[in-house]
Amino acid sequence: MAERQKEIERSAEEIVRSFVEAAKELPELKETYYSQEAYNIVRPDGKPTPAEELAKFRKRFISNMPSSDEQGNLKVEVARWAEER
Amino acid sequence: MGRGTLDKFDAIRRGELSAVENVQRALERIKKQDKRIKAFIELNPNALAEAEAIDRKLKRGERVGKLAGLAIGVKSNINVTGLRATCASRTLENYVSTYDAEVVKRVRAEGGIVVGMNNMDEFACGSSGETSAFGPTDNPAAPGHIPGGSSSGGAAAIAAGMCDLCLGTDTGGSIRNPASHCGVVGIKPTYGLVPRQGLIDLGMSLDQIGPLAPDVSGAALLLEAIAGKNPNECVMLDVEQVSYLDRLGGNGVKGMRVGVSPKFAELTDPKVMGVIDKAVEKLHDLGAEIVEVQLPNLERGLPAYYLIVSVEFFSATRKFDGRKYGKRIEEVCGEEVLRRILRGQYISRKEYRGKYYQRALQVRTLIRQELMAALEKVDVIAGPTVPKLPHRLGEKISVSSMYAYDYLTIPANLAGICGGVIKAGEVNGIPVGLQVQGKVLGELEVLRMMRALEVHNSCE
Repeated sequence: MAERQKEIERSAEEIVRSFVEAAKELPELKETYYSQEAYNIVRPDGKPTPAEELAKFRKRFISNMPSSDEQGNLKVEVARWAEER
Repeated sequence: MGRGTLDKFDAIRRGELSAVENVQRALERIKKQDKRIKAFIELNPNALAEAEAIDRKLKRGERVGKLAGLAIGVKSNINVTGLRATCASRTLENYVSTYDAEVVKRVRAEGGIVVGMNNMDEFACGSSGETSAFGPTDNPAAPGHIPGGSSSGGAAAIAAGMCDLCLGTDTGGSIRNPASHCGVVGIKPTYGLVPRQGLIDLGMSLDQIGPLAPDVSGAALLLEAIAGKNPNECVMLDVEQVSYLDRLGGNGVKGMRVGVSPKFAELTDPKVMGVIDKAVEKLHDLGAEIVEVQLPNLERGLPAYYLIVSVEFFSATRKFDGRKYGKRIEEVCGEEVLRRILRGQYISRKEYRGKYYQRALQVRTLIRQELMAALEKVDVIAGPTVPKLPHRLGEKISVSSMYAYDYLTIPANLAGICGGVIKAGEVNGIPVGLQVQGKVLGELEVLRMMRALEVHNSCE
């Protein structure tokens, strides 16, 4: 597993190196984050979701939870990887 | 003559073919062929009931939409209520969508029947269709070869006649690459033309949802149905509605200017280039003016793209921690997904931000400027889609060789322009697609060019 991860890390870094090489002689330019600079930050108020649809949504949402209590609340355990830190 | 999708749609409207019959046939074809091809991950158990509802509407003389009764496949990274959006990964293998993506709402509103979820490269991280946790997809047009990716299942399903139309996604060529290898039509729309809400993203500044179809009219039909502004979306062009179908024929391509770059031949297998050159000659014969354009830094887009997409993908996957749903991604994902996460993590470090990420965004600016300058001189740029022929399924190739499939498709994503693919010919029985890249919101010109070639090819 560790060996596999190292190998993947090596190949991940290879493309970083090739980028540095490819970009060496290129001019400094403004960065492009999005090709279209048309941000829409105000969303219109929609109609409230009907209670029946909301109940269906909740049921579907709960079905994806790894674990829930009797009231249908999500039970979250501290992940193993978080404990290791 | 390339009107297959429209003819079928007309037959459904006239009652010569019912929606149920059409969907039933699609499901039968899937049942018969999909064990071998693996184009679908899951089928919609309600598809026939939804088709019955369309037939009832038709009988009552009620309005039905422009996709009424057509069988639609949806890539497994787009949410469809009640079906699994797996991203072809063990991470989300049991994740059932809680809502419809905006594009799916639009497909349903137009009477399209979702028949199932298409196979794909895991989290859209691939160009071959081999990295799915549900098994690799075969290429119906060249059995034993990769179908291309990452929208492998959609392209294969169209090529095998398993459904009428498919929704794919394209971040660096994921619609155009499999369309080329499978000999079907695919469109990557202009960034911001089609809503992304409900798409499980790979690279949010690059992803676009688009159609895969057996013919140009089918692709235009589906694009018309899904394109247009969604007021709930953050980055979206202010386009209310689009209309392509009624203007597809027009005056053909007479007088249109087609750009070709000498760079294409430098990067492409001569056998593939031979097919492309012949297609460009046909466009010339049809009355288009061929103009040489310069794209001197085209190949530098590839490493810049892989840096940008890794950073965006790393960010997008932080929610897959296995706590609210699914499994922790790093514990169950495949090699290429892990490679992109690790690379994104590395580049995202504060100390490397300026050195790598911001520099990649500068290269993106350069590629964009070059393409925009070229497109000022011409209506479209025509060239190869993929620089080489597809390898055989299971054949081991290096990471850099795999990435090299994307050299010619990535620039359109970096620039945010549109691009379409149509079969130009074959090399040893393997399809080769012509890529037609257009300006921002230049989909009509792209479709017209492709339609002209389609009509010409069908007359040969």
